Amino acid sequence: MTTKDTQHEKPPLFSKWRYWYLLVIAWLITQIILFYFFTKTFS
Amino acid sequence: MSITDWIVLSATLIVIICYGVWKSRGQTNMDDYFMGNRSMPWYIVLLSIMGTQASAITFISAPGQAYTDGMRFVQYYFGLPLAMVVICVAFVPIFRKLNVYTAYEYLEQRFDLKTRTLTSVLFLIQRGLSTGISICAPSIILSSLLGWNIYWTNVFMGGLLIIYTMSGGTKAVSYTQTLQLVVIFAGMFLAGWMVVKLLPADIGFKEALQVSGKMGKLNVIVTDFNFKDRYNIWSGVIGGFFLALSYFGTDQSQVGRYLTARSVTESRMGLLMNGLVKVPMQFLILLLGALVFVFYLYFRAPIFFNEAQLKKTRQTEQGPALQQLEQQYATLGDQKSAQVKELSAALATGEETVIAAKQQALAQTDVTAGKVRKEALELIKTSDPTADTNDTNYIFLHFVVNSLPRGLVGLLIAIIFLASWGSIAAALNSLASTTVIDVYQRMVNPHATDAEYLKVSKLWTLIWGVFSILVAQFATGLGSLIEAVNILGSLFYGTILGIFLVAFWLKNVKGDAAFMAALAAEVLVFIVYKLDVVSFLWLNAVGCILVLVLSLVFQQFNNLKAKRLPA
Repeated sequence: MTTKDTQHEKPPLFSKWRYWYLLVIAWLITQIILFYFFTKTFS
Repeated sequence: MSITDWIVLSATLIVIICYGVWKSRGQTNMDDYFMGNRSMPWYIVLLSIMGTQASAITFISAPGQAYTDGMRFVQYYFGLPLAMVVICVAFVPIFRKLNVYTAYEYLEQRFDLKTRTLTSVLFLIQRGLSTGISICAPSIILSSLLGWNIYWTNVFMGGLLIIYTMSGGTKAVSYTQTLQLVVIFAGMFLAGWMVVKLLPADIGFKEALQVSGKMGKLNVIVTDFNFKDRYNIWSGVIGGFFLALSYFGTDQSQVGRYLTARSVTESRMGLLMNGLVKVPMQFLILLLGALVFVFYLYFRAPIFFNEAQLKKTRQTEQGPALQQLEQQYATLGDQKSAQVKELSAALATGEETVIAAKQQALAQTDVTAGKVRKEALELIKTSDPTADTNDTNYIFLHFVVNSLPRGLVGLLIAIIFLASWGSIAAALNSLASTTVIDVYQRMVNPHATDAEYLKVSKLWTLIWGVFSILVAQFATGLGSLIEAVNILGSLFYGTILGIFLVAFWLKNVKGDAAFMAALAAEVLVFIVYKLDVVSFLWLNAVGCILVLVLSLVFQQFNNLKAKRLPA
């Protein structure tokens, strides 16, 4: 069993998991904004 | 299909089966078989999660959806990234810490055996039936388009993958899904490139987008709120969030995927990457459908994309009337072809008034063609009351079979099989793990040896495979199967998610209250569904909220009852 008990495992790239979560949410918001302009531009 | 297509199709499928069998070596116990020794890196977890979620219908139906209704279907996935975050925060650490095989094991530790059993039985019913329908849905389309026997198509669609799923367990499932997705993405990219290439010489990607947009197919964001409308930003973010949370957090076919990761970090990275790439992937698949729509503006589209059904109706007494409508539709198709050329010429000049006039003229012809098509659908229904007049799922494959070059048709048909196999293999693996871990090991035979458990696990994979094929054989007459799968999921997922959220967050709620709340919520979800007051996507939220609220009420009631009773 290789699982480390870790609520505290360090994420790659960032120092905390919360930055990864923010990245995912920020990317979703960015996509929604881009899609909104995509819809407006081509409609 | 040509000989070249048959060679491409057979070679692709044989390579996948051999690869799966090769990856199956060295299984010695259940941990190997169901968890792959918990050794998977995040990118295999990611591709496995995506391969499990993306069934054949994803690749057949989504382009058709964009063709008929535009690209707004992508909003259905907006809740998914948010769900990935919640699962990484709340679900993954608990499942990994307790070292469970199935999500439902945790429920016994938190509540009691009856709650664990109820949840696993709800999962087995839902997943067992929907796997059968997942086999049947693409089989019906392929058999109809290519004239194959539906029963044999079901057997091939659901049967061949049993070879590597049964022998190799989760490791074979994950590695074949990885290879399958590579083939799928390559094939879909080629199909997209071909659509643009097949358009008239002066129409490029940009011009095709402009025409598609003017015809209302690039409506990615819809902000109007309506409870009965499935695809707007609100139902997408809120309803989609609950659906994704239920599916990825509590459905063993997905939980089993990220529990195979070698650490919490790898599980989380697989899930978060899915949150990053899923929406763009669906966007591109839908864009393909919007481009196919443009293709059929320049070149005649059939009045109904299910050719087999059309042929049947032509041979009935409605035949002459149908042929007359087909002629009218073809004439309107030629008119649309001329008008779309005028529209793209106007778009090139950039003169707004001319563009608006040409757009209106084309839209008007499209509406008229729509009316003729509606009459044809009524004729089809009159000639055969059991006929499914929704041809959304036939649009993309009709384009593939009739417009793509030899070889590519075989590859695209192979993609349908591979996409099906990816999700069905994961489903069979999860059905077997839930049956063996939550029922057989827990209640029937708790003290068997590793070798015995491994043998029983393989046997149950086979049994669920055969069961799913049998369900598929009976499901051929059920009507709209995609809708059936989605509704079936939504009827159960909310309740299952509610039980898990109570377990995680309502620490004072005990097993009896959670169990009663789950039963009551499930009954109420069925009533809400029967009353048809909301779109099915909202049933997930309804079931989940009902379990949360009712468990608190029942727990309060139980506390009062305990206080009244003497110690």
